[in-house]
Amino acid sequence: MASPTPCYHCGLPVPAGSRFQAEILGARRELCCPGCQAVAEAIVAGGLEHYYKHRSETAANPQSLPQALPDELALYDRRDVQQPFVEHDGELSETCLLIEGISCAACGWLIEKHLRDLPGVSEAHLNLSNHRLQVRWADSQLPLSQLLKALRKIGYAAHPWQADAAAEQLQRENRRAMRELGVAGMLWMQVMMASMATWPEFNIDLSPELDQILRWVSLFLTTPIVFYCCGQFFRGALRDLRTRHLTMDVSVSLAIGGAYVAGIWSTVTGQGELYFDAVGMFALFLLAGRYLERRARERTAAATAQLVNLLPASCLRLEADGHSQRILLSELRTGDSVLVPPGALLPADGRILQGTSSVDESLLTGEYLPQPRAVGDSVTAGTLNVEGPLTVQVQALGDATRLSAIVRLLERAQSDKPRLAVLADQVAQWFLLIVLVAAAVVGLVWWQLDPSRAFWVVLALLVATCPCALALATPTALTAATGSLHKLGLLLTRGHVLEGLKQIDTLVLDKTGTLTEGRLTLSGIHPLRELDADSCLALAAALENRSEHPIARAFGQAPEAAEAVDSHPGLGLQGRVGEHLLRIGEAGFVCALSAQAVPVITGEHGQWLLLGDEQGPLAWFVLDDRLREDAPQLIAAAKARHWQIMLLSGDSSPMVGEVARQLGIKDARGGLTPDAKLEVLKQLHNQGRRVLMLGDGVNDVPVLAAADISVAMGSATDLAKTSADAVLLSNRLSSLVQALHMAQRTRRIIIENLTWASLYNGLVLPFAAMGWITPIWAALGMSVSSLLVVLNALRLTRP
Amino acid sequence: MPALYILIPVAIALVGFAIWLFFWAVDSGQYDDLDGPAHSILFDDEDPKHQAAVNQAQQDSTPPGPEDKPGA
Repeated sequence: MASPTPCYHCGLPVPAGSRFQAEILGARRELCCPGCQAVAEAIVAGGLEHYYKHRSETAANPQSLPQALPDELALYDRRDVQQPFVEHDGELSETCLLIEGISCAACGWLIEKHLRDLPGVSEAHLNLSNHRLQVRWADSQLPLSQLLKALRKIGYAAHPWQADAAAEQLQRENRRAMRELGVAGMLWMQVMMASMATWPEFNIDLSPELDQILRWVSLFLTTPIVFYCCGQFFRGALRDLRTRHLTMDVSVSLAIGGAYVAGIWSTVTGQGELYFDAVGMFALFLLAGRYLERRARERTAAATAQLVNLLPASCLRLEADGHSQRILLSELRTGDSVLVPPGALLPADGRILQGTSSVDESLLTGEYLPQPRAVGDSVTAGTLNVEGPLTVQVQALGDATRLSAIVRLLERAQSDKPRLAVLADQVAQWFLLIVLVAAAVVGLVWWQLDPSRAFWVVLALLVATCPCALALATPTALTAATGSLHKLGLLLTRGHVLEGLKQIDTLVLDKTGTLTEGRLTLSGIHPLRELDADSCLALAAALENRSEHPIARAFGQAPEAAEAVDSHPGLGLQGRVGEHLLRIGEAGFVCALSAQAVPVITGEHGQWLLLGDEQGPLAWFVLDDRLREDAPQLIAAAKARHWQIMLLSGDSSPMVGEVARQLGIKDARGGLTPDAKLEVLKQLHNQGRRVLMLGDGVNDVPVLAAADISVAMGSATDLAKTSADAVLLSNRLSSLVQALHMAQRTRRIIIENLTWASLYNGLVLPFAAMGWITPIWAALGMSVSSLLVVLNALRLTRP
Repeated sequence: MPALYILIPVAIALVGFAIWLFFWAVDSGQYDDLDGPAHSILFDDEDPKHQAAVNQAQQDSTPPGPEDKPGA
């Protein structure tokens, strides 16, 4: 197959013979689907063509966004529904929406521009870091549902966003970190000016009175730095001392506290050297390092921490009079009957009262084929109804559902998560011991030689060996590496991933959606009559384009449209293309049209669908969940590291064994429940193994939470993404292989940084012990060594 | 250096004001999005109204009028 043209809007391949085009930036562009065409035309019509010129990434495919029904949007116009998230201020209303589908900065421009041109919108501001849109508009001119529709028209899905406790806390912490950083920076500059004037190296002819004033000014300005900005170091140190650990925080607190107390002494007595500027510089460097690390990680977290929208926002309740009414999920009660149309998520656990369909449970169980369900069968909240409409009696809601049981399992698993040792803390422990011993020895020696200088020499030693570079060694390297990995498509959401990869010795993989694509794709066409494969595919696609079934997508876009298409749940589709009456689906159903015998199936794997007309069967279509192309690469990389590889799948079909055989994985287990998966992981932990878990489904979530390091696929459920330590946004397993290399390089840089920092501190120790170090040398040494560490870490931003 | 007796309190007052201003900026959310504004300034160059204003300004070398501002 020739490589297809990418869609101008979303970048997906344009199917052959596509008739979707749009006039963009003065040329006709090929588009892949009616969704992209509609969005592109809306953007051009709105005079926002420049979006295409500015964007650095292609847009999200409109069909990959969660679908919203018009009557579901209309629910948002109800006052009681709006109440939690919309603020009314006279004529204007204000709300915060979470936007899905943002791929680059140009999206922000497009959204703001488009909304501001709408009548009634007075203000629209999109925060690109967390994808939240703040909008003020006149409710009377433009209902909220119209606003949401306007966003959808240009290819973005918006959800009302309410700050939950975690998000609010995150924002508070972020602002606090920013404030601490700013205060430390501004005050340090002032302290530096005041205290440097007292240094003998500058030869400023100060009167004793002025000298005293400058000391007091420095003390006054340093106090907020120590108590406001450095509070987190002291709290951390206290916590670590209680658990009998000597960590970086202890070391940092000792240096800051020591220099500050000595500074007070020197200010009050008017003698000795001032180290206040060292306190300020130290605080500023450390806070900056931590702030950058926090931002690098949070940017990635914000991109993935979308709503945990496993359940639909609303559902159709069947009233006693037989009519259905759309209500919010929170209004649903146990015992109610709900109507679930095909293509919709089930809102609650329940039993089927009416209808036959198949239900896609792949995210919950790992089964890759939709499971047939009929009257009397139970269904689970969060699964997808595929074929026919179902009437379901609600048996369990909210916390009582099977889905919630998995979420609870997740919380338990999170508390079991083992802590991987942090390299910097191990070094800090030794460092601190050595410095304390050296300080004690030097102090004793000087006490014998010259008691009046002993205190100042010990203080200079503590400040000069201040572990600034040591404390920066890890955060700077991690920040740089996190940025580089982001470009590769791997987002790190927790800090221990890069350092911890070294300790991993077992790789646990999920099958559906992780090693495989997670959706059915066409793997073969076997024509049975005179029509060739391409013509058969065109006919089949024409029929399937009218269906919501996940299988339908495997056929791609059809050049022609079928008419009078009927869906027969569990059997297949019937429709008319030109003058052909066609059926596609289960073999018996298709052959019934021509009253002929069912042809023989010539393979074993996958799902076989038959296409036939009134004269007889036309072709077999074989659908399969394909292996990802780069899966063997990942397995090879894992084997090269001598990791033990395990495949744990919820799928009970023979596909598990087949995938394991193709990839050469010896240990493969299928049909596992989330509990059983977690049990396997616990056994591995009991054997002392360190586990890297790669998964995507809700059934993987507890294991992802409990594994030493876990990676969720970018296509995974939100719940899986939020419980994993990293997200493979690109969905390319080869990115993970690159990440393994990156982790090695990062570790090397961290070790280099730690070595350099220790070396510097070791070198300066004898000079400090001799009493040759004055504040100016301490300041110079600290800045140069910190700068070196930062520059070394920056090497990680280059590929 | 008697000037210092005045300059030091002035410096402290200034830094106090700067910190107060900084706190206000942080609290009003100006540091919440550190990525967006960096890009948005580039897009504004392409704004047709801005372009028109720039062209006009070049023609009659008078400062652009109110149409320079983004339309409401």
